[in-house]
Amino acid sequence: MNPEVAILWAGAIATLGVYTILYRENPISRLFEHIFVGLSAGYLLFTTWTQNLEGKWWGPMVHQRQWYWAFAPVVGLLFYFIYSRRLVWLARLVMGLFFGVAAGTTFRQFFPLYSPQIYKSFKPLLPQAGLVWADVILHHWIFIVILLTVMSYFFFSIPHEGRFGRGLGRSSLLGRWFLMIAFGAMFGNTVMARISLFIGRVQFLLKDWIGHYLSWFAQRAGG
Amino acid sequence: MQQIPRHYIYLLLAGVVVWQLLAPMPLPISPSTATRGLYEAIRAVPEGKLIIISTDWDASTQAETWPQTEAVIHACFQARKRFVIMNMQPPMGVKLANDIALEVGKQYRARYGVDWANWGYKYGYGNVLMAMAKDIAKTIGDDFYGRPVTRLPLMQGVRSIRDIGLVVEVTGLAGVTEYWIGLIQGPYQVPFAAAYTAVMAPGYYPYLDSGQMKGMLVGAKGAAEMEALVRSPGKATTIMNVQSWAHLLIIALIVVGNLGYLLARGRREERRQ
Repeated sequence: MNPEVAILWAGAIATLGVYTILYRENPISRLFEHIFVGLSAGYLLFTTWTQNLEGKWWGPMVHQRQWYWAFAPVVGLLFYFIYSRRLVWLARLVMGLFFGVAAGTTFRQFFPLYSPQIYKSFKPLLPQAGLVWADVILHHWIFIVILLTVMSYFFFSIPHEGRFGRGLGRSSLLGRWFLMIAFGAMFGNTVMARISLFIGRVQFLLKDWIGHYLSWFAQRAGG
Repeated sequence: MQQIPRHYIYLLLAGVVVWQLLAPMPLPISPSTATRGLYEAIRAVPEGKLIIISTDWDASTQAETWPQTEAVIHACFQARKRFVIMNMQPPMGVKLANDIALEVGKQYRARYGVDWANWGYKYGYGNVLMAMAKDIAKTIGDDFYGRPVTRLPLMQGVRSIRDIGLVVEVTGLAGVTEYWIGLIQGPYQVPFAAAYTAVMAPGYYPYLDSGQMKGMLVGAKGAAEMEALVRSPGKATTIMNVQSWAHLLIIALIVVGNLGYLLARGRREERRQ
């Protein structure tokens, strides 16, 4: 069998097999799920070796005599001491190292990530050069009202009693409505994404798989 | 009306999808500001600087991310901008993007190593980016085919992240953008743009509003808009035609479900009185 045709058939059978879940939970759909997970894991292992470890670790250690790279897997294996009560401190040592690196990277990322968004939330509320009332009200006022009311929703330490508390309660209720609208928009996008995936698969079945045979028959009939 | 068996809903949806794939009724596509931002960012890359396309996606999201990557590559070739593909996770993206670049490159007679290259899958997230900021060749080492990147003509004069004119991240994976913005766009002021699956896009609009992101493609819709801009209608344009009809069906089902609920509530209240 031509390898391209075999790939088409494998793709079609796997797609139909996975979609049998729509009828009900069954062993066929489970089988294809496990095949997919296995393939992904195998591919990850293969590419991690060919694209990373072979060139960055094995090559220098074996061909360029940088023998000290032999200690890298030893450090990695220290993680497994988590299963030993007596030697668990060895696992903690290497975990501490990773926590330190991750915390340092996160700290470095934090300000460039969020500070521009904080600056940009200070928007002019009155018309200025190049800005008319319609722009200011449509973009800036709506933004500020939503920002403040949503933030007020997350003030949990002030009871909604008394004049100030009741005002905060109303603002937080409005904030909750805005959050619900945002979640609705997110859910709409989720529906769009899921349908895109389904259309992609139907497109494959109709155009690539069935289409392949239709064009083959058309060629035969024409020839 | 509230208890339509789900199998009927699936069949209806499948019917609409098949109908629109076989007999499409195209609807107009007009590019949004976010899509135009990405398109303009690609065209604005100065001569001599490279574009990095970080393809952090795999087969599970390819209905959206494949056409997004394809449209971005079209835009790069049309604007005669040199680009490199790289990937941090999941590794399948780098192979799929390589196939796309080879296919699209044929139309523009693009040469590997001269007009584009593939840096491959590089594991290590933030650590890779921090190292790349200082020395790209040393960090990347070998390309997708196992050849040292220093031998690629495209890499001449490319030393650090300062020689990169734009980063375009195509992803279905939350969290990678934060590394690019926090460690590259912010500290080194390298322009950044992205293409996301529709599920994750809403969470990234604040980055667009703050100017940290030059442009954004949202799911298949963004890919279809980009295809319109590069005048190369492809998979995403087809998907969006079908999508619009599928959405109409879902809206109709929501209306029917809610009508059923209201009618049932009315009847309950009548019985109580």
